[in-house]
Amino acid sequence: QNKPVTGKITDETGKPVPGVSIVVKSTTTGTISNAEGAYSLAAPENATLVFSSVSYETQEIAINKRSIINVSLLPSSKILNEVVVVGYGTQSKRAVTGAVASINNKQFQDRSFSNVAQSLAGQVAGVNISQAQGAPGSSPFIKIRGVSSITAGTNPLLVVDGVPLENFNLNMINPQDIESVEVLKDASSAAIYGSRGSSGVVIVTTKLGKAGKPSVSVNLEYGSQKVARQIEMMDAQQFIRTYIDAKNNAWIAAGGKATDGNALRPTLLKIPEDFLTNPQQFGAGTNWQDVMFRTAPMYNGQISVSGGTEKTQYMFSGAYLDQTAILDMNYYKRLALRSNVKTMVTDKLTIGLNLGVTSIFDRTEGTKGKSDVISLGLQSNPHFPVYNENGNLGYRDPNSTWFRFTSFGDMNLWHPYSLTREVDKGTKSFNTLGTAYLEYNILKNLKFRTSLSGNLFNTRNHFYWNDKQKYGYSAVLAAQANAGNSYMFNWLSENTLTYDKQIGDHSLTGLVGYTSQKQRDETMYVAANNFPNDLVHTLNAGTVTAGNTTASEWSLLSYIARLQYNFNNRYFLTGTIRRDGMSRFGDNNKWGYFPSVSAGWLISDEAFMSNLKNINNLKLRVSYGVTGNNQIPNYGAVSLLAASNYVYGSTMNNGLRVSSIANPNLKWEKTNMFNLGLDLGILNNRISGSVEYYNSLTRDMLLFVPVPDITGFSSQLTNIGKMRNRGIELNISTKNTVGEFKWTTDFNFSRNRNKVLQLGPGNAPIQYVDNVVTVRTEVGQPVSNFYGYIFDGVFKNQAEVDAYPHHASTTPGDPKVRDVNGDGKITDADRTIIGNNQPDFIAGMTNTFTYKGFDFSFMLQGAYGGEIANNNIRYLGTWDNGRNFYASMYNYWRSESDPGDGIHFKPNVSYQGLQKQFSSYWVSDASFLRMKNIRVSYAIPSKMLSKMNMKSARVYVNAENVFILSKYKDGYDPENTTYGTTSYSSSMETSGSYTSGNAPVPGAFQGVDYGSYPLPRVITVGVKVDF
Amino acid sequence: CGDSFLQLAPVSNPNAGNFFKTKADFDLASNAAYATLYTIYNPEGPVSYTGELMGDNVTILNISGNMADKWQFRDYTLAPANTMVYQFWQDFYRSLYNINIVLDKIETADVDAAYKDKVKGEMMFLRSLYYFQMVQIWGEIPLVTKPITAEESYGVLRSPVTEVYAQIVKDLQFAASKLPLASAAGAGKVSKGAAQALLGKVYLTMGDKTNAATTLKEVVSSGQYQLLPSYATLWSPTNKNTKESIFEIQYLGGSSTAPFSDYYLGFFPNSNALGFYGSGMNQVVDDTWNEYETGDARRVASIDTGFTDAKGTFTRVKFPKKWQDKTAPIIGQRIAANNNFMVLRYADVLLLLTEATGDAQYLNQVRKRAGMPEFGTAAYPSKYSTIEAATEHERRVELAFEFQRWFDLKRTNRALTVLAAKGKSVSQAKLLIPIPNVVRDQNSKITQNAGY
Repeated sequence: QNKPVTGKITDETGKPVPGVSIVVKSTTTGTISNAEGAYSLAAPENATLVFSSVSYETQEIAINKRSIINVSLLPSSKILNEVVVVGYGTQSKRAVTGAVASINNKQFQDRSFSNVAQSLAGQVAGVNISQAQGAPGSSPFIKIRGVSSITAGTNPLLVVDGVPLENFNLNMINPQDIESVEVLKDASSAAIYGSRGSSGVVIVTTKLGKAGKPSVSVNLEYGSQKVARQIEMMDAQQFIRTYIDAKNNAWIAAGGKATDGNALRPTLLKIPEDFLTNPQQFGAGTNWQDVMFRTAPMYNGQISVSGGTEKTQYMFSGAYLDQTAILDMNYYKRLALRSNVKTMVTDKLTIGLNLGVTSIFDRTEGTKGKSDVISLGLQSNPHFPVYNENGNLGYRDPNSTWFRFTSFGDMNLWHPYSLTREVDKGTKSFNTLGTAYLEYNILKNLKFRTSLSGNLFNTRNHFYWNDKQKYGYSAVLAAQANAGNSYMFNWLSENTLTYDKQIGDHSLTGLVGYTSQKQRDETMYVAANNFPNDLVHTLNAGTVTAGNTTASEWSLLSYIARLQYNFNNRYFLTGTIRRDGMSRFGDNNKWGYFPSVSAGWLISDEAFMSNLKNINNLKLRVSYGVTGNNQIPNYGAVSLLAASNYVYGSTMNNGLRVSSIANPNLKWEKTNMFNLGLDLGILNNRISGSVEYYNSLTRDMLLFVPVPDITGFSSQLTNIGKMRNRGIELNISTKNTVGEFKWTTDFNFSRNRNKVLQLGPGNAPIQYVDNVVTVRTEVGQPVSNFYGYIFDGVFKNQAEVDAYPHHASTTPGDPKVRDVNGDGKITDADRTIIGNNQPDFIAGMTNTFTYKGFDFSFMLQGAYGGEIANNNIRYLGTWDNGRNFYASMYNYWRSESDPGDGIHFKPNVSYQGLQKQFSSYWVSDASFLRMKNIRVSYAIPSKMLSKMNMKSARVYVNAENVFILSKYKDGYDPENTTYGTTSYSSSMETSGSYTSGNAPVPGAFQGVDYGSYPLPRVITVGVKVDF
Repeated sequence: CGDSFLQLAPVSNPNAGNFFKTKADFDLASNAAYATLYTIYNPEGPVSYTGELMGDNVTILNISGNMADKWQFRDYTLAPANTMVYQFWQDFYRSLYNINIVLDKIETADVDAAYKDKVKGEMMFLRSLYYFQMVQIWGEIPLVTKPITAEESYGVLRSPVTEVYAQIVKDLQFAASKLPLASAAGAGKVSKGAAQALLGKVYLTMGDKTNAATTLKEVVSSGQYQLLPSYATLWSPTNKNTKESIFEIQYLGGSSTAPFSDYYLGFFPNSNALGFYGSGMNQVVDDTWNEYETGDARRVASIDTGFTDAKGTFTRVKFPKKWQDKTAPIIGQRIAANNNFMVLRYADVLLLLTEATGDAQYLNQVRKRAGMPEFGTAAYPSKYSTIEAATEHERRVELAFEFQRWFDLKRTNRALTVLAAKGKSVSQAKLLIPIPNVVRDQNSKITQNAGY
C-alpha cells in the first residue's frame, strides 16, 4: 500500500539541496528534489528511502509509517571533490597524487593578520611558520619540510594567481581577498616550478564572484595589541649592586680591596659616588620597557562586491588597515584595492584580468636586533629618569645635574625616545600586481591560454635625526638625514596548451607550456648632514654627503610539460618535466631539467572495499621528483670588481679590486624527494586524515664554501655537498559530535630530521661566528648546530676549583667549564655541540565548537626539542660596559656563603676567562606551547536579517598569541630570531666583514636572538555583514 | 628569444672578465693594491695591535668590539680562537691577493716595459712590506706569490722563515733597482729610497748588519732625504710628503667620501664626550711618559694628557696626539682628519744606521733636531751608557706610537727582558702570535706555533 511521503532536503548548514535522487529501496520508483529541496512521492509504509546525490553521503531512512521525512545530508567524500589549485591548473582532491595542503578562506577568516602566511601557522603539517619578529607587517619565516639549503635561500616560492614571485611580500595581498592557499610540499607537485621548487611552493589564489545576485560584504574590526610579557630586567637598586660588584671583583682580581676608594682605582674601575653613598635616591628607577611599549589600537575595514552571470564574474574589494604598533611612534597602514574580472567573450574565448593595487605606509623599527631600538632600550641603565630636570632625555645634557655621570665611560642610556621621537622616519611602499589572461578553445578538447603579468613595486623611505637627540642617545650627534628609494619590476609571459580527453574509462590531460620572466631591481640612496636646525627634514636643507644608485637583473626561460592520466577515476598517474634556464648560473650550466612522476590509487573505490562500509576514503599516493634552488646572488657566477680608492698627495684616485671569484660551472642546487602518502576517511568521514612520509636528498648544494684565506677570499660560491631531510606528517580531523552541537578537532603533527651528508673539500665543517655565537655545520649533523663550551654551573669555593680542570684565571664564583675531551685542560678543543634550532617536532591543534549561530574555536601550536641562542647575553647576561642586566642574573655568586643559584657566575668588569665566550649559558630550550588563537563568533539568525535586507551578519571576537608556555625567559619569545632566511645576503658577497652584529650568512643564524621585537597579544572585535 | 635572454651582465659592478688589459686598468688595480695600506696600517689593524700593543708603550682599557679578544694582545694571553688574530690573517692575505693579481696579470699584458717595471717594483715593495710584518708576527707563514685557486691553496703550507726573508730581499732588490728616486716618484708612490730603507731594516732584522749598513747608507747618500727642523709638526695635515718622509700612507680629510685619517680618533679614549667616538686604542702608559728626558719637547708633541668635555670637565688620560687635525670636521661621530701616516721616515733610517754600525753620529742628528744633548757629551743621560741602550731609548721616544716598538724589541732580542720588567708575562714562544684555529680547521696540515 503506497502512501504519500513529503519532506525537505537540506545540507549541514540548513540550505535546501535540489537534485537529490530519492528512490524506494530495491525498486525503480523514485523522484528528484526540486529547487527548494522539497520532494514528494508515494511508497509503502514499511519501505526504506534511499537519498543520494553526487556531493552528499547516501542515506537510507526507513519510513516507519511517517508522512513527512526531512533529511539533512552530510557532504559526501566532500574532501575528494574539493578542487585544489596546483601548478598551472586545478585538480579535484581525488586526483591529487602529490603532497598538497589546502587551506581555504574559512580557516583564516576573522583572524587579525596582515599576511596570510601568518594564519597558516599551526594549521599545516610539515610547514613550520614562525613569527620571528612581532613588528606589524613583518613576514613570518616559512620552512616547508625542513631546511633545504645551507647558504642559498630557503624561502618557498610564492605563486600569486599563477605568477611565481621570488621574495614577494605577502602583505601586499589583503588576506580577506584570498580564496585559498595551497602548499605544495613534495617534489612531484613542486617540480612543475622546477628550479624554484625545492623549498616548497605556496600558491595564493584570490577570490572571484559566482554567478548570481551581486553580493556585498562589509567587515569592520577594532583591535588592541599589547606586549604579553616583558623581559625581567634589573631595577635601579639591583643594577647598582651588580655594577659595584662587577667593579670590585675586577679590582680584587687586580690585587685591590673592595673598600678602596676611587682615588686608588684605575679609570675603568671607578664607581660613581652616588652609587656608594646614596643608591636609595634612585628608587626602583625606570622600567625602559614601559617607556618603549604601549597598548596599541588597530582598525581594519573592508568592503567587497562580487557576483556575475554565467558568462562574466567579478570581485571588487577595498580594504584599509590602520595599525598602531606597540613600539612608540611605530605604525602600519595599508590600503589594498582589488579588481578580478573574467568574461566569456564567445563560446571559445574567455578573457580576464586580476589586478591588485596596494600601498603601505609604515614605520617599523626594532627588528634589526643588536643596535636597534628594542635591543638598545633593554640595555639602558635603570637609574636614569625618563626626563631630566630640563625636560631633556639624557644625562649627556651639559646643563643637567645628571651630567655628572658622563665621567664614567660605562654608563649606558640609549633612551628609546632618542630613536623614536627624535627621529622622523617612515616608509611608503606601492605594489601593483596584475595578470591579464586569454583562454581560447581551439578544439573541443584543446585549450590555449596565454597570460601576461606584471609586478611593479616601489618603496621609498626617509630618515631625519634631530640635532643632539635631546641628549638621549649614546653620543650627542649632529642632525643627519637620508632617503632611499627602491624599484622592482617583474614581468612574466606564460603560454600553455591543455588537452583533455576521455576515452571510456581512460582520462587524459596533457599540458605543454613556455614561459619567460625577467626582473630588474634598482636602488637609490642619498644622505645629508649639516642642517642649520631641525625645522626642515628634507635633504635640501642640509649638505648632501653621500649618494648612490644600483641596479641588478635576472631572467628565466622555462619549458614545461605535464601528463595526467587516470583510469576509472581510481588509478592516477602524473608525470611532469620542466626545463629552466637562468641568468644567474654559470655559462657552462645555464639550463637544468626537473622531472617528476607520481601515482595514486583510490583503494576505497575498489569493489572489494564495498563491504567495508566504515571506510569512506582510502587512498595511497606515491611520488618522486627533482626540484631546484636558484636563490643565489644575481651575479654569483661572475667575477666582480669593487671600488677601492687611494689618495696620492691631495687627490683621490679611483681603484678597482677583484671582489669575487668567477665560477662558470655554477649550476642548480637539486633536491630529489620521495613521498609516500595515505589518505583515510572512516565512519562516514567522522574521522579523516592523512599520513605522509618523505625522504629528500639535496645535492650540488649552492654553498658559500669557506676557502683557505690565503687565496685572498674567505668563501666561494660552489656546488658542493649533500644533505638529507626526511620526516613524517600526520593530519587528523575528527567530528566529535554532529547535529546541532558540533565539535570538530583538527590536529597535525610533523617531524623532520635534517642531516648533512657531505661538505666541501675534506668535509671541513663550516663555521660562522656572529659576535661569539658560533654555528657549525658538519657532516652527520643537522645544519647549523650551536657550537661552544658547556657551563656546568659555578665553582662555589676554591676546593671545587682545585678539584676540576679550569681556565688559568678561574677563582670561586667563576663558571665551571666542562672538560669535554677529558684531557685535564680547558682549551678550545672543549667546545662541542650545544644545541640546534630545528625542533624535533611541531604540532598544532584546532578545536571548533558550533551551536546554532555560535562558533567557538581555539588553536594550540607548539614546537618541541629545538634550542635558541640568546646573543643578548653578550650585553644583558654578562657585564658589558655597564649595560643593564637580566633580573635572572641577580642571583649570582657573591661569596661561598652566598653562592646564588649556582648558574650565574660573578660579574666582573674584565672577565679573564671564558665567561664571555659562547657557551651553554647562552642557549635555552626553545620548546613552547602557544595558545595561538581563540575565536568566538555569533551569526545573527536569518529571520532577523531578512527584514534588514541582509544575507548574513556575524559578530566576532578574536584573540591572537593569548599565552605561551616556554622556558625561554630572557627573551620575549622562543620563536624570536633576528636574522632572516632571505634568499641571500649581500654581506656574503663581500664576505669576511663578519666581525660582529651582522650575521655573515643570515639563514645559518636561524634561532639566534639578538634582541628581537616581541610578538604582541592582539584582541580584535569585528562585525561582518553580507548584503 | 633564447640564450641571449639569459646573458645578463652585472649592471652596477664592473666585470673582472674584461679587466687587466690596458695601462688604465693597471693604474686602477695598483691603486686598489695601495689602498690595502689603509687596512694593514689601520689604527686598529694588525701592525698597530702587535707593533704597539704587544710592546710596553701603550695599553687598552675600554674599547669597542669584543674587548676580551683585544685585551689578549695586551696581556699575552692570545688564543688560537681569537677573532682579531683571524681578522689580521685575512687582512694580510686579502691585501696580498690584490698585489699578486697585478703582478700576475701585468706579466703578459701589452704595456710598455718601463711602466711594467715601475708597477712591478711598487707591488713588490708592498708585498715585501706585508710579508716582513707577517714573518715577524707569526714566524713561518704560507708564502703566496701569485693568485691561487682554493684547490691549490691546500698544498701551500708554512714556509721556513729564511725562505720568507729570501723572497722579501729578492722583491726589494728588484724594487730598488727599478723604481725612481723620491723626487721623481710622485707623492705617495713607492720610490727607490723606500725600497732601500725597508731592505736595510729587513737586513738588520735578519741579523745582517753589514748589508744593512751598506743599504741604509745608500739612502743617506742619495741626498733625497733630511730631517725637518720641527719635530712637532711632522704629522701635521699641512706637512705631507716632506723631505723627512720616505714612505707615507696618504689620506684625504674633510669628507666621508674620501679615505680620511683615523689615527687620532683611533687612539682617542673610548668616549663620546666631544661629539665623536674615540676607539680607545693604544692608550699611553706612564712608563712611556717617563721615558722622555726632562725638557724633551717630543713628549708633549706625542702625548695628550686628557680632554675637556662639553661642560668644561677635564678628564685626565694619556693618549697619542701626533695625528691631531684640529680643523677636521666631525662626520657621524668620526673625525675626518687629514694627517698622513709615515711607515718609513729619515729619523728611523738614521737610528737604524746607528744600530747597524754602532756609530753615534746618525743618532746624534736625531738628538740635535730634538734639541737634546748628544750621545757622548757630558749632558747625555748617564743611564743610557752604551750605544745600544742609547739607540733603544732614542727609538722609543722618537718613534713612539709609530708601530715600531715591539718590532724593535724583538729585533734587538730585548723583548723578554724589557717586557718582563714591565710586568708582562711573556715567554719566547709568545713572541709569535698563534695561527688562527679557523686556518687549521680548514687545512689540518698547517702547523701551530709552539706555545699555543
